Amino acid sequence: MFQFLDKSHTIAPPGYNRWLVPPAALSIHLCIGQIYAYSVFNQPLTQLVGITESAPGDWSLVQVGLIFSIALFCLGASAAVFGKWLERVGPRRAMFTSALCFAGGFVLSAIGVELHQIWLLYLGHGVLGGIGLGLGYISPVSTLIKWFPDRPGMATGMAIMGFGGGAMVASPLAIWLMEHFKTPTDMGVSQTFLVMGGLYLCFMLFGVFTVRIPNFGFQISDFGSKQEIRPLFSSESSKGTAVKSSPKPKSEIRNPKSVDANMAIKTPQFYLLFLVLMLNVTAGIGVLGQASVMIQEMFSEKVVGTNRAVTAAAAGGFVGLLSLFNMGGRFFWSSMSDRIGRKYTYSIFFLLGALLYFLVPLTGQMGSVVGFVAAFCIIMSMYGGGFATIPAYLRDMFGVMEVGAIHGRLLLAWSAAAILGPQLVNLLRAWQIEQLQLPAAQAYSVTMYLMAGLLLVGLVCNLLIKPVDSKFHYKTEQP
Amino acid sequence: MKKQNLTLRLVLYWAFVGIPLLWGVGMTVVKALALFQ
Repeated sequence: MFQFLDKSHTIAPPGYNRWLVPPAALSIHLCIGQIYAYSVFNQPLTQLVGITESAPGDWSLVQVGLIFSIALFCLGASAAVFGKWLERVGPRRAMFTSALCFAGGFVLSAIGVELHQIWLLYLGHGVLGGIGLGLGYISPVSTLIKWFPDRPGMATGMAIMGFGGGAMVASPLAIWLMEHFKTPTDMGVSQTFLVMGGLYLCFMLFGVFTVRIPNFGFQISDFGSKQEIRPLFSSESSKGTAVKSSPKPKSEIRNPKSVDANMAIKTPQFYLLFLVLMLNVTAGIGVLGQASVMIQEMFSEKVVGTNRAVTAAAAGGFVGLLSLFNMGGRFFWSSMSDRIGRKYTYSIFFLLGALLYFLVPLTGQMGSVVGFVAAFCIIMSMYGGGFATIPAYLRDMFGVMEVGAIHGRLLLAWSAAAILGPQLVNLLRAWQIEQLQLPAAQAYSVTMYLMAGLLLVGLVCNLLIKPVDSKFHYKTEQP
Repeated sequence: MKKQNLTLRLVLYWAFVGIPLLWGVGMTVVKALALFQ
């Protein structure tokens, strides 16, 4: 019944235009990126009983906030666990499973809201949705990297840019739906969940049906402007100019320099890349959650005067601007990495990021809102760029053979950073205000210096990365 | 004819994902404008 999901049914016919594949990847990432906008549900979920304000029996913000943490943890865990499975069954089955899990999470959560059972939301949006996130995140990336061997950074940047854009779509959509379904006795959250689940399922199924994997030795052609024959997996494919029509088994697509997922985790390069991603994400994610409060406190009436103080509305605009740079940076930096190389790109992230974090307290002391905003926009672009460039970095190190599975395992770094980053910023800020009696506006300086320090450690890790030793390479002549 | 079909497919596929993405970006740009007011 589900034969159309088989890997063999996903292989592109000869001459298939590869630019038809990125929309399939984007359709998945645009949906799962919704998780970044989950905070729009925070307030409504804490007022399900009281409606106008939280009442006894309503869930607390801490209880609701846990949904996001569980989802991000399950994203990393499922990507790590199911990565090998994805490589075996192909992207269509993995994306279909992702769509069912992600949409199913919305349905289960809607039931949880109706029954007022928070554990159903933990299970729905947290666990089930998180598994959908993990599978949906790595499947399109792994596929695109195989279609664009000449521009892997740009290709993965396109998909991962969609993840950043997903929050921009989900946030206004969820707000509009909740306003539409809201009544004097109902917040309209469960109906919003059901509609969003249905919409996302349809949208993701577009990706499921249109995704294709490249045929062995496919021909790269960009709108006929440039005909070029490039080997995809092995030197064998470069011999002929004709596009082969039959799919090759896995054993034949193994590049001599490829490393399989189980072997990859035994290399020092994997752990250095793990630290590189984790430190880059920690430095960005910790501040991202605090951005609105931070700009208001650093440029409050008390600090810069009434005329130049940043209002709550302007702070909201600042968060929106950061989202734009976060999304744009995913495409810009990953495309740039195809030209200057992955190592240089990450070195720029760490050096420029550390410099900007050192300068941020100075912009506060000078009362320069423009300098503050500009610094954080660049930092956020590099935060997004870090996510988008890492798959291509993995492909450079470990080859294309099991890059999806290796990427999945590396995403545990994201889960770790998602927990570590905000905790670090919050605890440090609380310690400075409560123990050192520092004013709120000055309490961020140490945090900024710590972030700069983390980025410098990341720079060292990045500089230590060398090509993988040939003893780890997949042996094509297996006994 | 075949080339026209391909062009049409490319336009439709990209529009399917591009329109929602542009809508989201547009909404965010409007929100971000508050910073400059």
